[in-house]
Parts: sequence; C-alpha cells; structure tokens
Amino acid sequence: MSSDALVLGIETSCDETAVGIVSGRKLLANVISSSVEEHARFGGVIPEIASRAHLEAMQSVIKQALRDANVSLKDIDALAVTAGPGLIGALIVGTSAAEGLALGLGKPLYGVNHLSAHIAVDSLDSDHKLDPSIALLVSGGHSSILQVNDLTSDVKTLGSTVDDAAGEAFDKVARILGLPFPGGPWIDKESANGNPTALTLPRSFTLPKDLEKHQYDFSFSGVKTAVARLMENTPSQNRADVAASFQEAVVDVLLIKSLAAAKNSGIEHLIIAGGVAANSRLRQLAQERCDLAKINLRIPPTKLCTDNGAMVAALGSLAVAAGLPPSATGLSAESSSGISRPIWA
Amino acid sequence: MSTTLVIDSSTNKTIVALVSDGKLLFSASHDDPLAHGEVLPKLVAKALSVSNEIESVVVGMGPGPFTGLRAGIAFAQSFAFARDLNLVGVCSLDAIAAGKSDPEFLISVDARRKEVFYARYKEGARIGEPGVAQPITLTPFNLPIYGDQTNDFPDPLAMAALAKTKSHTEKPIYIRRPDAQPLPAGVKFRALTQLDLVEIFAIEKAAYGKEAWSMAQLKEEIAGKERFYLIAEVDQKVVGYAGAVKLADICDVLTLTVDESHRRKGIGRELLRRVLDWTRNQDCDAVMLEVRVGNEEAMPLYSSFGFIEISRRANYYGPGKTAIIMRKELR
Repeated sequence: MSSDALVLGIETSCDETAVGIVSGRKLLANVISSSVEEHARFGGVIPEIASRAHLEAMQSVIKQALRDANVSLKDIDALAVTAGPGLIGALIVGTSAAEGLALGLGKPLYGVNHLSAHIAVDSLDSDHKLDPSIALLVSGGHSSILQVNDLTSDVKTLGSTVDDAAGEAFDKVARILGLPFPGGPWIDKESANGNPTALTLPRSFTLPKDLEKHQYDFSFSGVKTAVARLMENTPSQNRADVAASFQEAVVDVLLIKSLAAAKNSGIEHLIIAGGVAANSRLRQLAQERCDLAKINLRIPPTKLCTDNGAMVAALGSLAVAAGLPPSATGLSAESSSGISRPIWA
Repeated sequence: MSTTLVIDSSTNKTIVALVSDGKLLFSASHDDPLAHGEVLPKLVAKALSVSNEIESVVVGMGPGPFTGLRAGIAFAQSFAFARDLNLVGVCSLDAIAAGKSDPEFLISVDARRKEVFYARYKEGARIGEPGVAQPITLTPFNLPIYGDQTNDFPDPLAMAALAKTKSHTEKPIYIRRPDAQPLPAGVKFRALTQLDLVEIFAIEKAAYGKEAWSMAQLKEEIAGKERFYLIAEVDQKVVGYAGAVKLADICDVLTLTVDESHRRKGIGRELLRRVLDWTRNQDCDAVMLEVRVGNEEAMPLYSSFGFIEISRRANYYGPGKTAIIMRKELR
C-alpha cells in the first residue's frame, strides 16, 4: 500500500458515532453524530442509549464522510476501528460495522486503541515527529499519562486516574454548581470571572508519601467532594470563584505530573489530547510551564481533541505506513483501560 | 442462481448461512452469549470462502439481548452497503415459528433478567407484536412453547423465505426501553437525620417485612460511628435511603432501599453513586455489599458500578435465606 493510502476510521467507544477518512497524513473527512443531548438529561452517558444511537447513526455517518472526502467506498484501501477501551456495547457496534465493511470490500481492518488514537490525531496535516513523546490524555472517560516510544507498537501507561476521569470531575462539579452537562466548557466559561486562588482545594497524590505509590496517577474525587461540602455548608459562595479554584486545582495536578514524566524520562515532547485539552486554562498554563522547562508542547486543534473518527483513521494510516499486518478477522472489543497495545493483533 | 447471506444474532447462537434457491449452501452457528461481535465475522469469512457471490443479505432484527443483536445488524448493514446489496430485516421469532405445525403456539427466547421475549402464533401467522414478560405469565395461555429452551433457533431457510414476503422489519425490535431514565424532577438528596426515622421505618417495613430493621436498630445504626447515611426525597417526603459504614480497610454498603412506588426511576442508582463517592474518600481497599438471593434484579445495578460476586453466605437473612456477597476494589 502506498504512503498516501485511503483509510476510513470508525469510533464508537462512548457517545459519539464518528467516521473519519484520511489519505496518508492528510485529513479528508471528519463526521461526528453525538447523542450528547440525550445524555444531558441524565447528567452522564447512559451506555444503552449510546449503543442504540450508534446503530441508528452509523450508516448515515459513513455515507456523509465519503461525501465530504469526495471518495467512493471502493477507493478505500484500509479500515480502522476503535476496539477499546470504551463502553463494551458501544464498541461492538463500531467493530461489527467495520468488520462488515472489511469483509464486504475485501480490505484489511486494523483494530486500534482509543488512547493511542487520541495521540495519533496529532499526525494529521503535519509532518512533525510523533514519538518519543509524553502524552497527557484527559477526557470524560480517561485521565492518563502515556509514554509513547512508538505510536503503533510501543505505548506505555505511566499512570492514570484511580477514580474519576478529569472530565467526569468537571461534569460532577458543574452539577454541584448548577451548571449544565457536559460541565467542561461551562466551568471554563464561569472561571473566566472568578479568582483561581480564592479557595485552597486538595491536590491529590502530590505529597511525597503518595508519590511513592502514585507518582503519575490522579485522583479527582477528593477535590470534587471538597467542592460539594463547601457548597453544602456555605451555599452563598461565589460560584465563579469556586469554579476557577476547582479548575486551577485540576489543571495544576495534571501539569505537575505530565512535566515530571517528561523530565524523568528525558523526553522533550508533551502532547495534550482528549476533550479536556480544550480547556483554556489548561492550554495557557501548559504553555507557560513547558516554555520554562524547555519542553516542546503540542495540542491538536480543539475539534480533533474530543472523540472523533479522524484520529482512528490517523492511527490506522500510521499502521499501514509502518507496514504492520492487519488485525485478525473477529476483533475482540475490550472495555478495560488497562490495555496497552496500540493495534490489535 | 441467487445467493443470500443470512445472519441472526438474536439468541445465544450466532447463526450464518448461505441460501440459494431455497437450499442451504453453507450453514454454521456458534453458541456463546457474549461473543457475537467476535464470532460473526469469522463465520461470514468461512461462508465467503464457500461462495463470494452474494446477491442479497437477510438479518434477524430480534427481539433478543441488545448487544449481540446490534452486532448482527451493524455487520449486515455495513456488508450490504459495501457491496451495494439489498438488505432485508425479519423478525427472529418468526424464523423460529416457521418450522412449527401446531395450530396455535408460543415462541419465547431468553431476554435475560429472568424474562423472555415472546410472540403468539395461530394458523401459521403471528398475532400482534412480540412482547417481553416473565416466563410464568405465559403458562395461562396453555399452549406449546418453543424457543431456545427447546433448542429451536431461527432457521436460515425460513429467514430467506420471510425476506421474500412483505413482513419486513426496518428497525431493531428492542421492546424494552433503555433502563435509565432521567431522575424525575424534584428529587433531592440530603443527609439523613433523626427526624426522618419514622418515614424510613415505614419504607423499610414495606420492603423487607419480617427482616426489616426495627426502629431501635435503625436509630442505633444511624448514630453509629464512621457511617454515612443519606435520603432521597420528593415533595419533602422521603422516598429512599442508603448508607455505608467504614470498617477498618473495608467499606460496607449497609442498605439501599427505595419506596416501591418510586423504583425504576434512577433514584437507587443515584443514591448508590453518592454512597460510593463517600466510600472513595475513606482510604479503604474495597467496598462490599450483600444482596438477598431472590433480589437479583439489583445485581445489574451493582455490576454496572464494578461490583463482582465473590461468595455466598447461607442463612444470612434468616433460615434458608442466602446472601450474595459482592465486592468492588477501591485501589
């Protein structure tokens, strides 16, 4: 296959039904159908609702992506699909749709790791070096620090959250503060009018005794509970100050650990990806601290940071370019975030 | 000669066949309730090695357990799209019924959670839409019942034949709505106080009868150390409560109870979520809970929060009443 192979990628690990098409490292289409509005009524993603929405949207999203890319399905050289981690019932809609296309067309299929795909999206429409790098992956479902030695074959998880994902903490605190779901953008907005140093909130796993066991792990339930207690005891608190102080506490811990990982591994590139990478304070503080530490910071464009199909196609395309064999027919979708292989065997 | 690819994933069996002119060119199935997604592509690959010239696709649209069902439909839709083929969905129960000659009978298949999907057939035709019910409610029909329990599964030849009739199904036959519902407006959560005890006692007694905690036990319970109790209320009336205790390295969920008239609205889920949030900050290794055997309806809720059954304890709730012990790691 040539280096500008046409790859179609499918992503259904959570609540976005998404299909992307790339040619080599060039982005051609990125179509997303989200069931987020249905989930907003519940204050979180409901797996069965997400899975039903995936099946309902899948075919029209595939067709729209082909139209946007101005290619025919017969021109596609390879397929890629998120095989994990994610909601198992949601993943299986994506893997089954991808297998149907692959067998129907007689084209190779790559099952890819959702976390690695979030990093691979940084390869699109650019030619900079992707690895080795440290990646901070922060979204509603994940909060991990990864050491990327080789994006298609060697990605190591250095640490991850022991309870809530960062995005989940944003959602929950937004709910406590009476802000809508998803909470990230609303907290960001509210914080603009608040004082980030108004309150001192816990920064879990940053004390020396915790660092031994949890050097690169996160815990966000403490800061969330602290906000809940605070609002219960003094409901008159300035909401903007609470939002800004909470955001500062989360962003501070994310960056302390990411920069420590970069420093300790001697790797000079830090990639921040995932939905929370859209947070304006995270972007600003990351730039300041990376400049000071002489670390090269990259954050993909905001629309490619949240879950999308382009990132799946991008990782599939890198696998094709690296000459990796396709995954065996009959992908086994896996929900666990403990999986480390970037491409399914 | 026109060859049809037939797929059904509505039962524990993943079924793949090639049908040509009313004859089976290929037929294979695999029995595993959790592997439809993995098995289906392998079986189709085998079928294609027999004949790659497919002219149409027929898929069973259920009813059946959702995850497996969707694997079959998602695959069939994509395969048909990739080859620009006509796709027809048929009711999977009809494809089981096709082989039966009784004047009147029922088809039922496992729907999990102690329920079955079923439909009634008379003179070879289905009466009304399929439904979901507890098996015991089908007994009064006093009709023969066929389905997965009698080892009757969707028949590929019948599916191909049904696809040629007008009884097509465009959408998956789910019947059940998604479990989750938004919390009803006006549900509030707050810490439990002594003033709530009378209302709680009433719910406790209605829910557990003889095994209910007495007023004195309740009083002592909520006054205990290292405990967390909260209530859910609607219009200032208590509708549910939950509590947990910290015992050295383990937290234990002591109770999770919702008034009968407010169940299946997500209140229990939210109570449990809040209790678990508390346990996470207790510096414990794990959280445990006990479920009465016979109250397995609650187990999917616990499983969805990561609880795993670790053992059973006989006579826990009194003679002959077994408890299922479940555990969720916190570290």
